[in-house]
Amino acid sequence: MQLKVQDLHVSIGKNDIVKDVSLLVGNKQFVGIIGANGCGKSTMLKSIYKSLKPQKGSVYLDNLDVLGTAPKKVSQKMSVVGQFNELNFDLTVFQMVMLGRTPHKKLLEADNKEDLEIVHNALVRTNLTEYKDRSFLTLSGGEKQRVILARAIAQQPEFLILDEPTNHLDIRYQLEVLTCVKQLKIGVLAALHDLQMAAEYCDYIYAMKKGRIIAQGTPKEIFTEELVAALYDVNCKIYENPITNNLSFVYQL
Amino acid sequence: MGQADVPLRQTFQVLVHKVSGGSLGSIEGIPNSFVNIVWQVRIPRVIFAVFIGMALAVSGAVMQALVQNPLADPYILGISSGSSLGATFAILIGFGSGSIFAQFGLAFCAFLGAITASLAVLILSSVGGRMTSMKLVLSGSVISALCSSFSSIIVYFANNAEGMKTVTFWAMGSLAASSWSKIPILVIVVITITVFFLFQYRILNTMLLGDEAATTLGVPLSRYRRFYMILTSLLTGVVVAYSGMIGFIGLIIPHIVRGLFGSDHKRMVLMSALIGSLFLIWADVISRVIIKNVELPIGIITSIIGAPMFIYIIVKKGYNFGN
Repeated sequence: MQLKVQDLHVSIGKNDIVKDVSLLVGNKQFVGIIGANGCGKSTMLKSIYKSLKPQKGSVYLDNLDVLGTAPKKVSQKMSVVGQFNELNFDLTVFQMVMLGRTPHKKLLEADNKEDLEIVHNALVRTNLTEYKDRSFLTLSGGEKQRVILARAIAQQPEFLILDEPTNHLDIRYQLEVLTCVKQLKIGVLAALHDLQMAAEYCDYIYAMKKGRIIAQGTPKEIFTEELVAALYDVNCKIYENPITNNLSFVYQL
Repeated sequence: MGQADVPLRQTFQVLVHKVSGGSLGSIEGIPNSFVNIVWQVRIPRVIFAVFIGMALAVSGAVMQALVQNPLADPYILGISSGSSLGATFAILIGFGSGSIFAQFGLAFCAFLGAITASLAVLILSSVGGRMTSMKLVLSGSVISALCSSFSSIIVYFANNAEGMKTVTFWAMGSLAASSWSKIPILVIVVITITVFFLFQYRILNTMLLGDEAATTLGVPLSRYRRFYMILTSLLTGVVVAYSGMIGFIGLIIPHIVRGLFGSDHKRMVLMSALIGSLFLIWADVISRVIIKNVELPIGIITSIIGAPMFIYIIVKKGYNFGN
């Protein structure tokens, strides 16, 4: 399933946050968005997943007009792991993940065997089976993030949007989350703040600055020392890491 | 119990006789006044307690999910002060006191006040785009403050000691106004809305996650919020009109239920309804027997029993206010 975003324009109040952004996520591609804080990554993602209304532009998931379709229908195809938000009420991990079945349920439909199985599989994929009956609010940040990912997986999406999914996570959890997402083998659009992770996991990358896309390409094409300097206002040295054969980054002020 | 001492056996006889439509048992030999006390006063009162307790607990549970705030109660969105204003108006200015018409006028004014206030909150919180839970709570406080000050003005200028006492008593809540004639409206409203919310558990659950996550699960909250709010206002409005402001149930019962059964609304709404009913029946019983020949305002009792129950849940069950 491919995601096509065209001429997306979002302003909040008098400020233009996202300016005429167009991008494409090919079938089963893992596409990253990089850029400094406040460059408009989250706002752009929010307007793609219908949490914000863009002033202009179109978003298509194959033939589905995302912006013009009811949230329920969109959420059957696309799930979202957003930036972390606190809960005021407690649910168990199981109940939380079960909520991922909501888009597929009619109003009065009960949860059936199939739902239980899907939720179980989502818990297995995220290594959470032992946490099933734990209360969500007692979990650590990393565990909570995995629960949210499990919920997104339980939605059985054909496309996944991630907004800095590895924020606040320890190294092992970062790797686990991204590996798990990669193994889903569906289209992914992810805002990432760790360039090395982006280089390692993404098939294609868009770089955003001040609401515009200023560069795009495969990791090897896009990552130049000039681009990183322009994006984050730091001096940067990029080298091929001899152990992983991937790109590594060194930053200096 | 109460001011008249009707023996249990006779109470039972009256019940069987009346419920079976006169075909079973006999009420001969029981003084007519006892029959009336049981059938015209006490039975309606118990039915009132059942449905008012249910309504308050359910609308508290829904309201807490609606504004994602564990401190919310059915009165949080201006309903209490709106209905107080209506009631104060009716008692001190409107209809005088004593006649049946005055009672009807009081209930009607309180209902009108409640609905008007919550509509005002609804409109105010929709200003400037999307309605969020924060805006709802803030608008609720603003409207409350406004209505309270108007009530105060009326009380301040009214030279009516008897009326003021009525206002105070009304504000503490009471089931004394129960009668068969009011039961149909109460039962229909409470049952319809409660049953409706029983089937809304999926949406109530996603409400707990907040606007953004709910949208990504296909549930656009702002639309549901508006609709649920109108329904809970209606529910609370009817309750307040008939029984004044019975505090604490709407706040505490949902928490007690969460402590015992968890936050999943699939069970939570039903259990809130049941426990709310039970709780209010017994609170009413206690309010009438704890001091002989005196009927304490029921709001005092709901707090006195509710608070220790709640403390027990926190201590024993490790419940932490949903946090």
